[in-house]
Amino acid sequence: MLVNRAATVIALGLVLGAAAARAAETKPADAKPSATADAKPSKAKPSKAKPAKDAADKKALPAARLDAARTALAGEDDAAAIAAAQSLAGAAAANAAEPLAELLAVGTSPARAEAALDALAKLGAGGALTAPRALEVLELYCGHHAPEIRQRAIKALGTIKDPRVVPTLLARLGDVAPGVRAAAGEALAARHERAGTPRLFALVKRGDAGAASPLAALATPDLIPQIAELAGTVDDAVLATALGDYAQRSDVPDRLRLDVVRTIAKLSGAGATTALVEYVASVPAKEDRPSKREAQKLLDQQGSAQ
Amino acid sequence: MNATRARLGLSLLAAAALSACATSPYKRAGNAGEVAAALARSQPAAPSPRSLVFLVLGGSAGPRVAAYDLATSRLVWTQKGEVTTRIEVGGDIVVHGAPGQTASGGLIVARDIGNGAVLWQHALAEKEKLAGYDVDAHAVYVVIQTQGLTKRGTTGSVLALDPRTKAVLWRHELPTGHVAGPAVRGGLLAVPVDSQYVILLDRATGAELAQVLSTAEAATFVRALPEGMFYGSRGVFLLSGATARGSRESPGYLLARLPPFVRPFYWYDLYRPEQARYSAIDRNHILWRVAVEGERARFRDETVVVHDYRFLFGFDATSGALRWAYSHPSDAVASTDTGSVIAFVSNDGDIGALDRVTGARRYQARLSGETVNAATFDADGFSPKLAGSESGAGAAPDLVGTLGAIVADPDRRFPDMKLFAIEEIGRQPGRDATGKLLEILGERSLTPLAAQKTSEALAGRKDTQSADLLAAALRRHADYADDRTAPPVDYLARAVAALGPGGRSVTPELVAQLRLPETPTPAAAQIARALVATGGEEAVPALRDYLTMYRADPVHDADPSALIAVAEALLKLGGPADRRLLLFVAEEPHTVAPLRAHLVKALGETDPGAVTRTATRD
Repeated sequence: MLVNRAATVIALGLVLGAAAARAAETKPADAKPSATADAKPSKAKPSKAKPAKDAADKKALPAARLDAARTALAGEDDAAAIAAAQSLAGAAAANAAEPLAELLAVGTSPARAEAALDALAKLGAGGALTAPRALEVLELYCGHHAPEIRQRAIKALGTIKDPRVVPTLLARLGDVAPGVRAAAGEALAARHERAGTPRLFALVKRGDAGAASPLAALATPDLIPQIAELAGTVDDAVLATALGDYAQRSDVPDRLRLDVVRTIAKLSGAGATTALVEYVASVPAKEDRPSKREAQKLLDQQGSAQ
Repeated sequence: MNATRARLGLSLLAAAALSACATSPYKRAGNAGEVAAALARSQPAAPSPRSLVFLVLGGSAGPRVAAYDLATSRLVWTQKGEVTTRIEVGGDIVVHGAPGQTASGGLIVARDIGNGAVLWQHALAEKEKLAGYDVDAHAVYVVIQTQGLTKRGTTGSVLALDPRTKAVLWRHELPTGHVAGPAVRGGLLAVPVDSQYVILLDRATGAELAQVLSTAEAATFVRALPEGMFYGSRGVFLLSGATARGSRESPGYLLARLPPFVRPFYWYDLYRPEQARYSAIDRNHILWRVAVEGERARFRDETVVVHDYRFLFGFDATSGALRWAYSHPSDAVASTDTGSVIAFVSNDGDIGALDRVTGARRYQARLSGETVNAATFDADGFSPKLAGSESGAGAAPDLVGTLGAIVADPDRRFPDMKLFAIEEIGRQPGRDATGKLLEILGERSLTPLAAQKTSEALAGRKDTQSADLLAAALRRHADYADDRTAPPVDYLARAVAALGPGGRSVTPELVAQLRLPETPTPAAAQIARALVATGGEEAVPALRDYLTMYRADPVHDADPSALIAVAEALLKLGGPADRRLLLFVAEEPHTVAPLRAHLVKALGETDPGAVTRTATRD
């Protein structure tokens, strides 16, 4: 077998070049290893200055450790490769994403890809996912055929504080796999990305349970009556989740919460009761608010009726 | 000894043949002179001024017979009564079958054409079976089988009854019991017998005038038209001296070229009693008229029309090319070629007529609130002009639109016709046809075979002027939130590939589909092939991404066709750097084995030294 590290490096250069070229696909493939290895983000999609500053705030891993990680990630031993990915995730360093992005760019087995994506998500959650290459590679993997891999890629992509990721997250709300849609919804909700609201509402309208909580997080007061009007056409549990989570939001006026609580009480099934219980539990014990009292009263009435 | 035996054998054979000739009832069969002489006595009746359609009505009002005047668009009369065998019209009466008093026997009923009143009824005897009848101004001609004690003992006869009084005018015993329904034209009555023969009788006396021997195909029907007497089965013979022996090489033989979905049914099989009754055959047959020049015949206007339940198609009889198509909302229960228009009646009371050459609407009327079970036209020469139209006809039907509607029709009775419609759309020029095929491909209910045919039709067009339509179709993608399904990327990519370099403008859409998660693996392979065919070099980055992302995915172990197609595309469209990438992919141990094997071979074939040089340099 002629494979050796040098060949891998050539390939990495080529593949990373391909990912970069994807940003500006008008240019034919004249990728050269030296040029593409240093590929910069397309001018059409300038990166923000803030992520670069965040990256500078993180400590960098030494080159030797990165090389060792690269060797393990590309090696024969699956367990060692997965362990290397986890180790990079734990390092929380700005450059820890590099070997992971390289592995994904050059292609690997599904198990290693999942480990690398989980590691990138963990780095992202810690604010250490800033490399432009990571964004390119994650966007690529958001289009992978395997839903488990797409779901992980979405989760990692959502942690990148760059508005360029939003179109991909919005697009994946239309994914055929419920888990991928839910991950995209959660990522948009975490980013307070209100552009996702219409599509999340469309999903709730189709009874998609995974969209209920993200919609609750992003919904504006004027959307609540529209959600309530779905009663009878959509599974009550989905509506109870959406309305219950909305009631728990701290920025909602209590007068509106009161209406929401009463609407939940009109829904059938255990989902409605759970939503009320969770709402009551979410309010600090010492805090007295009309909506909490109403929710408790409705729960008591349900209990006595049973 | 042997020579003697041979001579004896020949003598016996000759004696047997002579004996057969002496006793055969068909010794006149195929005599061209006699047939020509018989025909010379036959003159077509004067054209009828009437344009009527006789309707067999059902529904809540019970079984009825009605006459409708096409010229005035009004119902002339309605009479209660059941109809069994088909209505025939002649002179001033109509004749039809009716249920008999006994299980075996039936009735022949004659009605006054002016008011529908019953003139007389003729009951068949217990051992009689009705083979068929025809009518002219002089008589009702009834062919009857009379059952003997054995099958061989069954006899056949023709009975001529006075049309007003039912009096027997004459009776003619046929030479066999294997007889079929007759046809009368001018002074001549034709009766098919024993499958191969047609006996020609003098309609005034019942005397036998001549015999036709159909040697090339069975003679299952005889049909009288103003332009001549015809017989045949698979095709149509104009009765003449030249066709006295039924040769297909005769200039009087007609056979239209028609697509496979068409049932080649030119006229009823008059030997089959069930075809004497109204049935599905009245909704599925060929309509034809003939231009006659001496003994030479051709289909009039080179046109035949196919009636297939709700649909009518006009074909060039020689080339088989589709000229027009018409789709009606409900089944047409009867149709006729009047020589000028194709007139039809639908089961919910629509009465229409289309120009037989162009398919343009020439007549429409409606019989509201009626269920029409069947109908017989007496409207030869009916040539209406559409009211309110300067040309006398509506616009010719939009061929592509009509064919598209046939394909999209939820009625599942016509799978073969739908395939035909798809092929025909593919043959029509212009963007509309390409657009319609793309629309059909987008139908969720399309059967796999129909989708395959549509794809073939689309690719076969090589319509580079409509590449933008393919691009637009490929811009669609699945979206669960919007309840949108994916387009048939595989088929669309095939169509783009067929355009060759003319399809290069579609590269961005192919690339976008290649990157989508829902694009099936076979479609990805087809996209790669299309990119090679069109020379879409700008797709190289996407090809690289696809190859690297899936090269180590064991899902592709069993079917590496997509990876191989993408690698091939990269080899053809990419540059030296891509070749080095392929080399890496070929040698990296995690790459799925079939792809590695393919690449080693492909790289070796295109540059045998590549592997060695790279290894040495590394």
